[in-house]
Amino acid sequence: MRSKTAAKALATVAAAMLLATGCSGSSTEASGSGGSDEPVKLTYWTWTPNMDQVVAKWNEQNPDVQVTVNKQDGGDAAVTKLLTAIKAGSGAPDIMQAEYQAVPTLVAADALADISEELDGDVADKFPESAWEAVTLGSDAVYGVPQDSGPMMFFYRADLFEQYGIEVPTTWDEYAEAARKIKAADPSKFLGTFSAADPGWFTGLSQQVGASWWGVDGDTWQVDVDSEATKKVASYWGGLVEEGVIDNTPMYTPEWNAALNDGTQVAWLGAVWGPGVLEGNAESTKGKWKVAPLPNWDAATPANGNWGGSATSVTSQSKHPEAATEFITWLNTDPEAVKLLAGTANVYPAATDARANALTEPPAFFADQPDFYDIAAEAAEAANPFTYGPNVNVAYSAYKDAFGKAAEAKSAAEFPKAVEAVQETTVEDMQNSGFNVEG
Amino acid sequence: MSTRAPSLIAPAGTDPAPALTRATQPRYRASNAAVPYAFLAPAILLFVAFLAAPIFYSLYLSFRAAKVKGLGLGSGSRTEQWVGMENYVRSVADPEFLASVGRVALYGLIVVPTMLGLALLFALLLDSGRTRVGGFSRTAIFLPYAVPAVVASLLWGFLYLPRVSPVVDVLGLVGVSAPNVMSSQLIMFAVANIAVWGGTGFNMIVLYTALKSIPSDIYEAARLDGASDVQIALRIKIPIVVPSMIMTFVFSLIATLQVFAEPMTLRPLSNTISTTWTPLMKVYRDAFVRNDVYSAAATSVLIALATFVLSFGFLKLVGSRAFNQEK
Amino acid sequence: MTTTSITAPPPAPVDGVSRATHRDSSPGKPRRSNAAVTILLLLGAAYCLLPVLWVLIASTKSAAELFSTFTFAPSTHLFQNVADLSAYRDGLYWRWMLNTALYAGVGALLSTLVSAMAGFALAKYTFPGKSAVFNMLLAGVLVPGVILAIPQYLLLAKLDMTNTYWAVLLPSIISPYGIYLSRIFAAAAVPDDVLEAARVDGARDGRIFARIVLPMMQAGLVTIFLFQFVAIWNNFMLPYIMLGDDRLFPVTVGLHGLLNQGASQPAMYTTVVTGALLSILPLVALFLCLQRYWQVDLAAGAVKS
Repeated sequence: MRSKTAAKALATVAAAMLLATGCSGSSTEASGSGGSDEPVKLTYWTWTPNMDQVVAKWNEQNPDVQVTVNKQDGGDAAVTKLLTAIKAGSGAPDIMQAEYQAVPTLVAADALADISEELDGDVADKFPESAWEAVTLGSDAVYGVPQDSGPMMFFYRADLFEQYGIEVPTTWDEYAEAARKIKAADPSKFLGTFSAADPGWFTGLSQQVGASWWGVDGDTWQVDVDSEATKKVASYWGGLVEEGVIDNTPMYTPEWNAALNDGTQVAWLGAVWGPGVLEGNAESTKGKWKVAPLPNWDAATPANGNWGGSATSVTSQSKHPEAATEFITWLNTDPEAVKLLAGTANVYPAATDARANALTEPPAFFADQPDFYDIAAEAAEAANPFTYGPNVNVAYSAYKDAFGKAAEAKSAAEFPKAVEAVQETTVEDMQNSGFNVEG
Repeated sequence: MSTRAPSLIAPAGTDPAPALTRATQPRYRASNAAVPYAFLAPAILLFVAFLAAPIFYSLYLSFRAAKVKGLGLGSGSRTEQWVGMENYVRSVADPEFLASVGRVALYGLIVVPTMLGLALLFALLLDSGRTRVGGFSRTAIFLPYAVPAVVASLLWGFLYLPRVSPVVDVLGLVGVSAPNVMSSQLIMFAVANIAVWGGTGFNMIVLYTALKSIPSDIYEAARLDGASDVQIALRIKIPIVVPSMIMTFVFSLIATLQVFAEPMTLRPLSNTISTTWTPLMKVYRDAFVRNDVYSAAATSVLIALATFVLSFGFLKLVGSRAFNQEK
Repeated sequence: MTTTSITAPPPAPVDGVSRATHRDSSPGKPRRSNAAVTILLLLGAAYCLLPVLWVLIASTKSAAELFSTFTFAPSTHLFQNVADLSAYRDGLYWRWMLNTALYAGVGALLSTLVSAMAGFALAKYTFPGKSAVFNMLLAGVLVPGVILAIPQYLLLAKLDMTNTYWAVLLPSIISPYGIYLSRIFAAAAVPDDVLEAARVDGARDGRIFARIVLPMMQAGLVTIFLFQFVAIWNNFMLPYIMLGDDRLFPVTVGLHGLLNQGASQPAMYTTVVTGALLSILPLVALFLCLQRYWQVDLAAGAVKS
């Protein structure tokens, strides 16, 4: 009896072993290309869902350049994975999805290829200046083609706003008033939450006020996290958190999902990709949400910020930069591809005209708001410039620690101090690495 | 390590197997002097390739750093160079690192005694034979060991968060407002609980195995003398499993110092766990978030040294010869 | 070859290990149940089963129900969830499961063999450098896997082996814990007389090891196998950093990706919860099957002096 169970277990393992020999062949053929009549094979790391379906279209039309999607996760470590491969001299894909804030880091590590030679001259004109700036870093080099952008927007529960008699806030003062009103009507509910886990969200809000955390002056980096603009945003949220009218727990947790479902979170300061998140996390609230532009500091001069957005880049290890450039140009500018990006991969494409043609219908979750993409386009138009530096990851993890503490303490005084802590950590890290830096 | 007779761990009169004593002095000789090396060859080869080499490589990296010039953009602007002890100095001087060491010490003080105490309790209960639910309980308590730490933390995360936790719901029904275990006061216990949940079963089996290897005639004699179950447990069983307790303690200690997956998985769920909450989380942050493998290497060398000093120091203290059986 | 030698019929019971099984099968005189004992054990069992029960119930819920209905209220979407999971990128999940079986199964099997050989040599032979080798191997316990992942990658990249099955499999074979346990088991379970008798009969060392030592260490080897199986299963960083091709991922790395899709995508909680449940099931089944072998006598070799 005893040896029978053991034998059974071992048989299972032996079967797995056979499987190993059967499968191991496929892993080696995935990369590299053969002779001249063989198609060029490109690998593509991306975390965008359904990207393989978009790529399938390319593979169908281009038998001589075949692209394989390797889906990665969207965390910080994906960047490290690429950097480690670059350091090792092998193992990097040909094409990589890179968030805009990671581009300087990747360029500093020599991970991205300059494709200005391979690229057609008219590609730049298809993108808004801010997006193109993000892939050139203000230089003559081009480190990728913009894929998507994330202008921030204000999502709210129209049904609950009506129930509590609240107008859609157009300024931050009105937003604060609305938060108080909701709290007074139902102490268990919040207009929103200050998320110490989402530095990209906070930089977007700071961008709206005109903050730019990094800058370049000659051959010196400027670090300007602790500008008046950023501190203004931090103090504003610190005040609301201390007052207790805004929640202090992070977004993207099971708890936040539950709060979206049961109406505890009455609104959300998200970005244009928000409908997908709401649909995935709070499907039961379909039809109850509406979208509006982000509230402004000064209603007379509307401004905006971005949360998210990424480029498609060719890595420095790719042996086929020309084919790869051709592919990423197609992916992000071809009308058919952009339509697929918007419709299948659920991103908000960066290419202005192609996007306008692709996005004629509102997202399904906002079916009864036909002007959804008009509001989005205005939001994208209003975005202030923002420059990322070569150690965004350091600043972002410092943000999580410093603002985590401040939010937990629910103390308004701690919020501007957290801004200073982020500034200090960021500058110190750059000094340690030997950058020319002022800040 | 120590050649002292371990008076602590082999109580007189309980040596269960005199025949085993010779195991410490093998009489068996190889037919050829190369034979033992041949048996060891695969282990040593793999060890050198996949543990020793990376360890020495880490050591090497810990004295180096990437330095950039100017803006640091464009190829060739980044070079790797020797920086001596700079990474170590920065690691030790980092108040966050020191705080994380203190946190792990407290965490260890909670986890290790609780986990081993529960493991011993359950092992003794199972060994008492005074229950019909022994088989079921043993399996149930051991089950968490089969759940990977990342998955376990995800599950507990759901159970902790006030708005999705059934525990809070149930307590709410009876009119008790549950404390938020993800708050800064309680988060330590929240993390410790996951470790206790996952580790108790494994240690229980270790101790239960040790208990079972005691011949039952010893108890029969004690029972005839009128000793109660509790007395037998305290006077006979516990002293006998002390050596096993020592080893589970050392392994638990090592695991404690390397605590990582649980706080790492819980971190995004609250504001209370920083990115450097434990020493190994700092290593992860430096290597995987800040892309600074050099500082990470220096910190991990420090962690490995501390683990070495604590675990071997403890074994020396109790005079166990577990790690080195030769005279 | 390995398979046959490990599954050879167990030999007649010999000391330490066998006595344990002996008491297991006949616990002596039947004794009266004690309510306190039973209650305490059931409390322990309930504590350990609670999260498992949660994942069972959660996997029956639809995405909308997961965050809107009472936690312990089961629903009816289990099959739909499994179907969704299976449909994800043409059944990629099942490929991840097979990969995991391969990494953990084959890795643990090879690890057990390598550990058994090393443990046997360390327990039964006297040779120069023995303590040094043992202490060196054991020191490997002290180094956390998180930091080893990047240097391991850089070294394997020199051999052009990253992003292959080998990159995860090979580093998983060496296990200092396994060697430590194996040495204890060999010392306790294999009497010198038996080895000497075989020697007198003219058997060579390799044959003695395969035909006599491995069967005698069977219980211990199953323990090491399970131990290493779980260790490989739990080692997240190594496959995460080594593998770029998502068709080579083990299930942990794959599910992690579904949970961390970046801010602009919802985390696929329902899929992840269902995937986590399905991934634990084979592991639990394996443990239940092999449970009677699972006896870790960490100190057996150390006490007897």
